[in-house]
Amino acid sequence: MKDLILRNRYTLLLTTLIVYMVVLVAEGMITGREARVIEFENPYFDLNLNNFEGFRERENENENENARVRVNDAGDV
Amino acid sequence: MDKFALLQFYGLLKREVLEHRNLFIGAPAVVAFLILVAATWVATQIDQSQLAEGLRYVSVLFDGLSPFDMAPFFMLLGIPFILTLYICSVIYLINTLFQDRKEMSILFWQSMPVSNFQTVLSKIVAIVVVAPIFYVLIIFAMYLIAMVWLTILGISNDIDLVGIGWMFLAAIASLVLIYISAIVASLWLLPSMGWLLLFSAFAKKTPLLWAGGVFILVGFLEDFIFGTQYLANWVASRASDPNQYLIFEFQNIFERIFNYDTLFGIVVGAILIAGAVFMRRFTD
Repeated sequence: MKDLILRNRYTLLLTTLIVYMVVLVAEGMITGREARVIEFENPYFDLNLNNFEGFRERENENENENARVRVNDAGDV
Repeated sequence: MDKFALLQFYGLLKREVLEHRNLFIGAPAVVAFLILVAATWVATQIDQSQLAEGLRYVSVLFDGLSPFDMAPFFMLLGIPFILTLYICSVIYLINTLFQDRKEMSILFWQSMPVSNFQTVLSKIVAIVVVAPIFYVLIIFAMYLIAMVWLTILGISNDIDLVGIGWMFLAAIASLVLIYISAIVASLWLLPSMGWLLLFSAFAKKTPLLWAGGVFILVGFLEDFIFGTQYLANWVASRASDPNQYLIFEFQNIFERIFNYDTLFGIVVGAILIAGAVFMRRFTD
């Protein structure tokens, strides 16, 4: 077995990649891994790229709110 | 570990530093120089009285505040250096074992009383532990130059400099956070490091192309063979959020290192690094 794995660089690469894939797939199956990010607490600023969509939605909401305020202010005049 | 083994390892580390001075020292020095030039240019664009007023405000702001509480704000200044370290790490890891074979120095090192494991380990320790020390020292030198400049500015404008002293202490405390962040990031990204080393040891030409190409291929293969996408999920889980490896508070360090995902990443990284160690026996 050892001789087969270490026969040449290609068999060694293939073996390493198979072990790598099997370990990751087995771990994924056992833990039911999904694309997720552990969210550590960062009280200083938000760097979470996964929330980018939410950030954009919040920006749009803020813009709408500002536009509404401007319209109201213009109406008051 | 006996004294001879320690000396051997020290020799291997010294070799890495000497052979990669540009990545370990030159690159951060250039970044620091550019930041200082940019800061000087900004300072020349601002009126002297406004500059003095700003310095007085900063001095009052930092006076008496705990350096450890204020240190995270100086992490922002460290971000260009951390990015440079990442880029240099990728260049170093993908080239280091490949270069050994290309210039045939591998034959010399294999004739020495050092194992392939020691050689590969020295390359990992060089980039995880030693390189960030040089980066932190260069950031410290940059802070020192800035501090001298602020002190001269303060004295010439009759400003109380106690607050600036506190600010400098906060900047120094941030260096510890930057160093620990660099090490935690390396542990978190150990699978990527192992992957680059494996292909650096494997490829006869263009190791970066091999590493990138096989990475994409393995993702497709998993889908074909197992019908799952755990590899893609795993990569997505680890690469998208810098918060996962940037440390802003000293209390977080234990939690960052000893969590399931980091430890599992170290196991996966160890598999790939083991592959790189065995791959070193093929010297052609």
